[in-house]
Amino acid sequence: MKIDVLEMTPTKAELVISDTNPTFVNAIRRTIVADVPKMAINNVEFHLGPIMDESNKAYESISPLFDEIVSHRLSLVPIPTDLEQFNFRSECSCGGEGCPSCTIMYSLNKKGPCTVYSGDLEPVGSEHLKIKDDLIPIVKLAEDQALLVYATAELGRGKDHAKWQATVGAGYRYAADIEIENGKCDAGCSCAEICPKDVLVKDGRKLKAEHPEKCNLCNSCVEMCEVEAIKVTGNPSKLNFRFETDGSMAAKDVLLKGLSILEERFEQLREQLSALE
Amino acid sequence: MIIPVRCFTCGKVVGSAFEEFVRRTNMGEAPKEVLDALHIDRYCCRRIILTHADLIDEVAPYY
Repeated sequence: MKIDVLEMTPTKAELVISDTNPTFVNAIRRTIVADVPKMAINNVEFHLGPIMDESNKAYESISPLFDEIVSHRLSLVPIPTDLEQFNFRSECSCGGEGCPSCTIMYSLNKKGPCTVYSGDLEPVGSEHLKIKDDLIPIVKLAEDQALLVYATAELGRGKDHAKWQATVGAGYRYAADIEIENGKCDAGCSCAEICPKDVLVKDGRKLKAEHPEKCNLCNSCVEMCEVEAIKVTGNPSKLNFRFETDGSMAAKDVLLKGLSILEERFEQLREQLSALE
Repeated sequence: MIIPVRCFTCGKVVGSAFEEFVRRTNMGEAPKEVLDALHIDRYCCRRIILTHADLIDEVAPYY
């Protein structure tokens, strides 16, 4: 197996995996979507009744959206996650009560008229847990409205709720094998013009597949070519695999964690099978 | 009502891009260019931004 990294940024990864098969890549895809844990807000407490400010002005603790909607929107905000630092609440040494190694507390205190953003969530304790994507609108408050909220985030998995899904838009497709018969090709290059991904490039008197990894097998070039000089086929043993993260973890960390989860699972299977003897 | 936090289909966070999108398109930039610049690539995410009707300011006075 050979892996070429086409792109690896904190939120996006694109890999070409050769000498493999779809089953293998699908196992990785499913694991990073459903099994890699991340932090998300799971409990929101709203202050009810009047909220006073410094000059003793009273605000009503209501907003144009229902509290359920506000808490749902809060839960979808990506929380920066360091998997070394946090345990699952049910497996934590605190016995599920909630402690700094399994939960993050956030407070939110805003008085209208204003827009409440994800960046207004203040972590109780360490400042590095502040929300990175601080421009997500949560709710808008009108005159005399205020919001005072305590939210707790905990670790979970994508299979339980999409808010705990670290990976976004994960998928794979066959890599393209592009064959150009130079004997037949008249270098008219109408195929290069119609290609939506700019895969084909005219190189002097010849046609060249400059970026075969971008090809999405649309076959427009094959249909366009009058002399039948080009052939595009998907290669099931070479796959183009890509995914993004929601920003709570780096793409590389998500992939490494996914692989170690798979490894652990197969190790358990191996142990159970060897115990059969 | 208010811009969804995430894309309904793929789950990408799109809420944070909406205000910049509105500001830049109002200044005359083409929506396509702005969406590309904000790295909103898939058509599922693009439709969330493009087709959103922001009605919360009209609702807010009646609470």
